[in-house]
Amino acid sequence: MNARIGKALVVGAGIAGIRAALDLAEYGYSVVLVERAPRPSGLLGQLDRQFPTDRCGMCRLLPRVERDAASADCLRRGLFHERIDLRLNTEVAGIEGEAGRLRVRLRRPSGGVDPERCAGCGRCAAVCPVEVPDEFNAGLTMRKAVDLPAPQCFPHAYALDPSACTRCGACREVCPTGAIRLPGAERRSFRILLVDDEWSVRDSLKEWLEAEGFSTAMAASGPEALAALREKAFQLMLLDIKMPGMDGVEVLERAKQISPGLDVVMMTAYATVETAVEAMKIGALDYLIKPFDVADLIPKAVERFERFAAAEDPPLTVGAVVLCGGSEGYDPLSGKNPYGYGVFPGVLTQVEFERLTSATGPTGGRLLRPDGRGAVRRIAWIQCVGSRDAGEEADFCSSVCCMASIKEALLAKALGGGDLEATIFHMDLRTAGKSFQRYRDQAEERHGVRFIRARPHSLTPAPGGEGLRIRWVEAGGESREENFDLVVLATGRRPAAGMTALAERLGLPLNPWGFIAAVPFSRCRTARPGVVIGGTCGGMVDIAETVIQASAAAAEASRCLQAAGGGQGAEERPAELSDSVLRELPRVAAVMCRCRWSSPPAETPEPVLFALGRDPEVATVETADALCTPEGRRTLAAIRARAGANRLLIGACRLLQQPARLRDIARDGGLTAGQVETADLALCSARTPPDAQAALFALRSGLARLKRSEPPAARPIPVAPAALVLGGGVAGMTAALVIADHGAPVELVETSERLGGNLTWLTRTIEGADPRALRDDLVRRVEGHPRIRVHKGARIVHAEGEVGSFVSFIEGPDGEVRRLEHGVVLFATGGREAPALGFGYGESPAVATQAEVERRLSDGTLPVGALDTVVTIQCAGSRREPRNYCSRICCPASLRLIEAFRERRPELRAVVLYRDLMTTGFAEAAYTRARGSGVLFIPYPSDRPPAVRPTGAGAVVAVEEPILGRPLEIEAQLVVLATGIVPALSRELVEAFGGRLDEDGFFQPADAKWRPVDGMAEGVFACGLALSPRTIPEAIATAEAAAMRALGLLGRERLFASRIVARVRHSLCSRCEQCIAACPCGARRLDEELGRVIVHPVRCQGCGTCAAVCPNDAAILEGFPPPQMFSILEAALG
Amino acid sequence: MGTVARLEVKEGGCTAAIRGFLHGLLESRAVGAVMVAQRLPRKVLRMPALVTDPHRLEGIDPFSPCFALNAARMAARLSRRSMGVRWAALMRPCEVRAFVELVKLKQAGTEEIVLISFDCPGALPTREFLRSPGAETAESTERFLREAFSGEATGPELAHACRACEHPVPPSCDVHIGLLGTDGGSWLAVEGRTPAGQELIAAAKLPPAEAPDSREAALRGWIGRRAAYRDALFARTEAAVATIEGAAAYFADCVLCTNCRVACPLCYCRECVFATDVFEHDPFQILLWAERGGVLKLPTDTLFFHLTRLAHMSTACVGCGQCSNACPQGIAVMEVFRTVGRRTQQAFGYEAGRSLEEPPPLSVFREEEFPEAVGLDPRPAGG
Repeated sequence: MNARIGKALVVGAGIAGIRAALDLAEYGYSVVLVERAPRPSGLLGQLDRQFPTDRCGMCRLLPRVERDAASADCLRRGLFHERIDLRLNTEVAGIEGEAGRLRVRLRRPSGGVDPERCAGCGRCAAVCPVEVPDEFNAGLTMRKAVDLPAPQCFPHAYALDPSACTRCGACREVCPTGAIRLPGAERRSFRILLVDDEWSVRDSLKEWLEAEGFSTAMAASGPEALAALREKAFQLMLLDIKMPGMDGVEVLERAKQISPGLDVVMMTAYATVETAVEAMKIGALDYLIKPFDVADLIPKAVERFERFAAAEDPPLTVGAVVLCGGSEGYDPLSGKNPYGYGVFPGVLTQVEFERLTSATGPTGGRLLRPDGRGAVRRIAWIQCVGSRDAGEEADFCSSVCCMASIKEALLAKALGGGDLEATIFHMDLRTAGKSFQRYRDQAEERHGVRFIRARPHSLTPAPGGEGLRIRWVEAGGESREENFDLVVLATGRRPAAGMTALAERLGLPLNPWGFIAAVPFSRCRTARPGVVIGGTCGGMVDIAETVIQASAAAAEASRCLQAAGGGQGAEERPAELSDSVLRELPRVAAVMCRCRWSSPPAETPEPVLFALGRDPEVATVETADALCTPEGRRTLAAIRARAGANRLLIGACRLLQQPARLRDIARDGGLTAGQVETADLALCSARTPPDAQAALFALRSGLARLKRSEPPAARPIPVAPAALVLGGGVAGMTAALVIADHGAPVELVETSERLGGNLTWLTRTIEGADPRALRDDLVRRVEGHPRIRVHKGARIVHAEGEVGSFVSFIEGPDGEVRRLEHGVVLFATGGREAPALGFGYGESPAVATQAEVERRLSDGTLPVGALDTVVTIQCAGSRREPRNYCSRICCPASLRLIEAFRERRPELRAVVLYRDLMTTGFAEAAYTRARGSGVLFIPYPSDRPPAVRPTGAGAVVAVEEPILGRPLEIEAQLVVLATGIVPALSRELVEAFGGRLDEDGFFQPADAKWRPVDGMAEGVFACGLALSPRTIPEAIATAEAAAMRALGLLGRERLFASRIVARVRHSLCSRCEQCIAACPCGARRLDEELGRVIVHPVRCQGCGTCAAVCPNDAAILEGFPPPQMFSILEAALG
Repeated sequence: MGTVARLEVKEGGCTAAIRGFLHGLLESRAVGAVMVAQRLPRKVLRMPALVTDPHRLEGIDPFSPCFALNAARMAARLSRRSMGVRWAALMRPCEVRAFVELVKLKQAGTEEIVLISFDCPGALPTREFLRSPGAETAESTERFLREAFSGEATGPELAHACRACEHPVPPSCDVHIGLLGTDGGSWLAVEGRTPAGQELIAAAKLPPAEAPDSREAALRGWIGRRAAYRDALFARTEAAVATIEGAAAYFADCVLCTNCRVACPLCYCRECVFATDVFEHDPFQILLWAERGGVLKLPTDTLFFHLTRLAHMSTACVGCGQCSNACPQGIAVMEVFRTVGRRTQQAFGYEAGRSLEEPPPLSVFREEEFPEAVGLDPRPAGG
């Protein structure tokens, strides 16, 4: 294993944070990963299924090489990596300093459950009297103030919610291990000033707050309040706005002068809400609308107290900070709520619906009507609730809801059977991603999901209690209405409040939509060096792009660490000494825990000890006190040494099964993890004495595993340190620079005579940035880089090999062939505009493609002044077979061209003929701008595309106008065809490296969502247009991501296989090759010369399929020897 | 259907006619060798032999009611690597089907071998054959054939495997020799089903013929009777082994001699897992087993052995019955393997020996297979 000098902080342990943390850890840095919630995996942890697989798949984020560094477990349950320090319930209090040397302060709530102590017995939740909505189930169920943060979480530790806890202490009394500390034991020291001119208000506030344990003081007017503030320190002030004399706003201003750190919550009547909002701009924290309830007030006070009382961790110094704080769901209640969310039963948000379909959700995955009257038969989804809505301050597209709704519709059909009707009401259906369009088409054609392009204007309870009635107006103008059992609102996403606040504290500018702003052409670099962003805190993107941006952020963070001196640390090798111990005959020390925490102390029954001791390979059976404590660990080591045992069997509880604890125990005893087994006898959490039979089974299976565990064969694979990057466009150059900046040599092969790719002709982006400056900068840095060798006019003539040791032959322009050895390969071969076909193209000079128009615009040959009408035809050849995918950039590109025309000729008439306008994310603002400036948008159905008739210098475009329902003819001087993007990827070359192409000729990633830049073979990556159509910043993000993933391999001299890897016992092998056919990783092949089946130990992921198909155990999975499995089964069966 | 040629049956019956055909193939060098069942001097059983000299075909007896081993194994061994010449193997349909399975399991090759098969009347259990009078003579075969095709059998009953065999004609071979529907066996309808088979017929210079009309009807009748027997066998066996107790009783007499495994043409492992360290239990473990009920039958793992073999090769089982032939204890092994094999093959829409093109079920990974078994069904259990 490699280790590097340097530490990074990752904020937020959703999928972006996990990806960034794993990337940095795989490269060798240590990572502190903080998460405010008591569980990792964020929003995606709540969702059971993602399209297109309709499964979760989050575990595919886990390392593929040197897998043993992380525990191969479900990431929705927990995350363990030896170089990642995951701190849950933790927030960033502050960050100071410069890139490379940032001082970070972290804080945690004052009370809580110590996960090191919690044995997961659940007694606390059983006695807790407080019930609050369970966030994990999106509020559909209730949980206790102390409860499991998610079902099946691991460690199986309970968490205490300080804002809900009433500090009754019931949980602390029943906790057998003393793991609970009550929050806010020091509430008396938290002083609250109550300012109101009405005595009754002051007095009830005082009563409520003192009942909660806070100290209060009262003031009847502004001057009184200021006097009190001068006299004593307060932590919180509740301040009435409307008071005679000095009003609340003035008091606020003056109070802030006296005590700048004071938190102030305004109290206002409904009429003065606007004043309260104003007050917030000058420093008030929040406001309460009178009359308010104790339940509204207390959580606010508690929250402030928690900040005041929070425990700060010792400060950290890190080289870089990656912010992955994600986004928040839009709350329909916060807006006009036209669809009656929270008012009519059966109206749900998408996340609520996902929980409803989950096996761990409120109904166990059954789709039931809210009134409980039978199964759900008809469901409607309404798109763009709170998105694409300038009125709701969301002039952006949330980018994920369209596909999520389609997936949910298919899921509903799978759950509810074929006759369940699923209807999606949408504006544009945004299928702007790889494979999205086909998924949508299949949903419609194969599964019968109904798509209606309309925005429902009302939703009411249906008469007779028959569910919900939706009314809408069809494109042609007729009104329609239908009843549904459930209505799912595709509520968009918003910037996360916590993230925005943190950004402000760090001095990071926000973009116009309230997300953290990235610098031009980057998705991850912020205005502050050393602080980068990954995932949706920079704007809404889907899972694949989140994962890409997180890796890109890791790359940028790694650059900072590198620049700050993050060199190679010592290589840690797998222990060899103790492995040889595994070859000795087993001699087991069995040590049973006597639990100190339970009363009376629980221990393993005598007959169990006796039965265990009968095994001739058990050297000793002993009972010792509290093995989960440091003394307990010392006792364990001593007993093992005294018995001369080479394996250790522990009978205790879940606490001792945590990977970190096991590692410590093994290290103390001079053993490896394979030589220690813990059986969970639930001693401390058991309410009755342990069942002898169950305990014996658990111990015997542990014993069986120990006795038969085999030493792993360490077969390191050497890694050639160089990277081969194919393609010298923006993606290729970016990737080359990231890799070379990390010290690895790069061979950059470009088939043309110059670097730059599509940047050689693009002149402007939708954001208004100039790609030519970017190109010049990249070319200069690439050509001047000492570790990048550029091969122009060159091509690969032959390639072979495996990860770590690829060999390629490059033919230069002079015909000379060079042999290159490289550890990884990156495909950045780009793409080009698809050729135009039909639409009068070639018949009239007035019909041109987007790229042609762009070029003519920049070289001045397009007479913009002579144009009266321009028509753009979107999807001219795309989103239908054989090119049935959205090219993502053509809609924004058309809007950008129209903006460019109008700059020179404002009176120009522009018409956009489209199917679905794909301005995802912030590009939506350009769409809004265009509509506002009078650009005409006319949708056309996919089966009736516009017809173009050339007329001398111009052309007439005929299209069916959907509102009028009749054909329309538009005379234009310029018709722009948005033809889309096609890849320029050689199938032969990709396959030579073990990669694959998808059905459209783009690079096939190993997993569309979770491993979007990795190829099907290890060590093969792709970025830019070779992967899929994308914008320049998106292409750069993929390049940075692919480079980071590649560095994870290049960063080490040798790759070590996992302990769990398949092997062939050649003397038994009949070479039937069933294992080769069955291997899903392509890790096996028949070596004809040797006459043997060979396993590639790094490609092998240890799934064991080969061992299952092999009839005589010639194919075996190391770490799971068959005799061991038999013994474990035997023990389990009793 | 390929081209049909006419092979006259004269003196010496069908065997002599085939002898003439093979003689022609060897002499014309259409093939360099022929593997065919032979009577052995001074012995009763017929064994496969590799013949290279056209004059050494006198002892061949391909239609004999004796079937001492499944020749697919020999054919596999001879074809796995190149022999250097094209050669023919004359085998029973169940042998050809086993061979097809072995090819797919990479234990046999198809490059040089030409598969010749025929309408198989079945065979007697080996023990019965050895006891039957005059078994060692060539005439016994002709008599058996006559009786089999006329439906007037007087001798001992065919092996259960053969009586339950619905594949008297192999689904795939290069040359097929039709005995059914040929005017009481007065000629043989030799059919080239593949280009390689047609080449052979051309080399043998046989005159073309019309495919016999009555063959299909005769075949249907034959298969119908066998299928009825088979279904009764399935019902009987399922009832016997449906429970673990039933299965244990069924195999109670097994002494773990593993003869069935040796006789099985599809148990292709070089060394059986039961001969490896995997089943070397700790003595302490065996003691624990004994303690559980106070008494433990030895050897252990007898039922487990058969279950393991079922797990490993029931998808490839062609029902040739050699396991039953090989069992010294008289356990009806074939019945269980066919009964279970039919189920496992049906589960994958597979039929052992049907085609070289169908990959063996376990070599194919389908993500959407058996959703109810692998937990992919999104519907909650019982919902």
